[in-house]
Amino acid sequence: MALLTGLLLPFQMFNDYALRLGRAIGIVAIALMVVAILIQVFFRYVLNHALPWPDEAARFAMLWMTGLLAPMAYRRGGFVAIDMVVRMMPVRVAALLSLFLLLVAGVVLAIAVQIGWGEVTGFGGRFATASLYLPTSWDFSSFYRIPRAWMMASLLVGVTLLSIVNFELILRSIITLLGGAGRLKPLSAPEQEIMAE
Amino acid sequence: MLIWFLPVFLLFLMIGLPVFFGLLAAPGILLFLNGQEKDITLLYRNVYNGMDSFPLMAIPFFMLAGEMMNKGGITIRLVEFSQALMGHLRGGLAQVNILSSILFAGLSGSAVADTSALGSMLIPAMEKEGYTRRFAAAITAASSVIGPIIPPSGIMIIYAYVMGESVAALFLAGIVPGVMVGVSLMIMVRLLADKYDLPAAKRVMFSGITLSPLENIFSFLLVRLNLGLLLSTLAPLGDTASTTAKWLAFGAGVLVAHGLALGLRRLVSPDFRLVCKRAVVPLQTPILILGGILAGVFTPTEAAAVAVAYAVVVAFFILRTMRLGDLPDVLSRAALTSAVVLLLVGAAMAFKTVVSLSYAPQILADYILSLSDNPLILLFLINLLLFIVGMFLDAGPAIIILGPILAPIFTDLGVHPVHFAIIMSVNLTVGLATPPMGLVLFVASAVSGERVEAIAKAILPFLAIEVAVIFLITYIPAISMTIPRLTGFVQ
Repeated sequence: MALLTGLLLPFQMFNDYALRLGRAIGIVAIALMVVAILIQVFFRYVLNHALPWPDEAARFAMLWMTGLLAPMAYRRGGFVAIDMVVRMMPVRVAALLSLFLLLVAGVVLAIAVQIGWGEVTGFGGRFATASLYLPTSWDFSSFYRIPRAWMMASLLVGVTLLSIVNFELILRSIITLLGGAGRLKPLSAPEQEIMAE
Repeated sequence: MLIWFLPVFLLFLMIGLPVFFGLLAAPGILLFLNGQEKDITLLYRNVYNGMDSFPLMAIPFFMLAGEMMNKGGITIRLVEFSQALMGHLRGGLAQVNILSSILFAGLSGSAVADTSALGSMLIPAMEKEGYTRRFAAAITAASSVIGPIIPPSGIMIIYAYVMGESVAALFLAGIVPGVMVGVSLMIMVRLLADKYDLPAAKRVMFSGITLSPLENIFSFLLVRLNLGLLLSTLAPLGDTASTTAKWLAFGAGVLVAHGLALGLRRLVSPDFRLVCKRAVVPLQTPILILGGILAGVFTPTEAAAVAVAYAVVVAFFILRTMRLGDLPDVLSRAALTSAVVLLLVGAAMAFKTVVSLSYAPQILADYILSLSDNPLILLFLINLLLFIVGMFLDAGPAIIILGPILAPIFTDLGVHPVHFAIIMSVNLTVGLATPPMGLVLFVASAVSGERVEAIAKAILPFLAIEVAVIFLITYIPAISMTIPRLTGFVQ
């Protein structure tokens, strides 16, 4: 048990801090999305001159917002699932089933990380985005065209963080199964993540 | 062999695997067993491409606008307004609850937000007036399903994106069904009033209401400008009218609107007028969204961004109910919710690819058509299936899973895609309030402190009338199709 709780600690700490940082970046990302689209609305309808970059910039921000915040939602139990069967089962059986489900999720995520790495570093990632440039000098005289890999990395980072969260949840599930639930630090209270309903 | 991914997926779902993982695991396993390992990469790509979408951006924006409006204190204004209009009727506060849900639906599009915001305010008030807690919680949960039916609606954006339909057409098609659900609930409350000896309420419940000078000016202007614009569209100018003529018509419209407002002023009490004025600023949001989309000024995504900007102006500058310190929490909540939904939609797009590869719709279509070739009977059966699914699964995931499978079958049978979208959306949205897995039942229970089982029992008459409305919507396409047809969004 001590070995398991010792193994859990670094993952727990990493997730505590990394996901908090991810949340902060996600907040900035959603604010930037709004600003980018409002700039587009202003230029298109008021100045009658549509800009090429706001749509893509907003999508860029949305992808990163999703990649960085979905792991936090997963950790808080915000992913939709039918947990009726698990709840009806005896505690031990339910814990075993939960562990099995986490392992299935782990396999999905491990494959996703592997494919994601291939995608980001592969052929598709080498293309440039259509309209996103980064200034490389203070006087805006030179620019670097942002590669698609930067956008595609959002999902890779997302599934990687999800994998780490999933590993933490697996360890917590094993500890619970072995009767050590009392030693676990409670994760943040679940918020109403599914407000889209 | 690939068709087996459906039972495997359902098995995963039933044993509690999160829908996101189920949508990827089941097709992934079958592709692997089928020797199509390379197509698993395709699944990943489709998740990414599914999320990388401009129309989907409307989801976080509408959520953000709703969160901001809610945090900005508009709920109380809508309740006051509903109270002023309907509070004097028999079962007054129950009717107020329903009307507030209809109005709230135009701002938020989320049944959970509706239950949580209106429930925390109205359930204690209803208890105080002599309603039982279970009845108050039940009517709150039952009326909250109007949220995702009346635009803006998160689930309709998801449906439109996954099935390639027009968001604007679905938004417009949802207006009448949403109002119908509301009116039917009001009728049911009236029918139950004698049985439960429901009390009448005072017309104006809240006292000490004030209005800031800035809000007063905004309300004054918005009412006249909106009415003026509406009246100017009635002027017989023709298609070739000059800009000057249009501006003149608009000016005349504003003058007529002002005259009407002055006339009405004498007929109502100052309290009633004040309550109505306080509702003008929040109720401008749906006018802005739908007006912008209908006039062809904005796309739904742009309309959603404009709604956020309007919510910022309202919450920070007009009502002054939010401070900068509140902003991170509001942004975080909207972003967190959106992230889950967007990831799910991405997985749904990957799932949809395998659905097509497996010929599942064709196989299921053959099976369904073998049951009957009468579309009316098939629509009845599909409503039954959707209702059962809705009892166990939330509306968004259910649409994501079943939309790509069922919609093509019924479109081939001659049902208009927009009509089918509304049947599916309304049915599954009502499912949010059905036991044993009704999301809003759990929220209503948390807000009221009443047991879920007690609310589930009290909600049955309301569910019965909502089911009746589903069948009306199913068998009378004009209910949902008239507005999109009149506005030219559906041919």
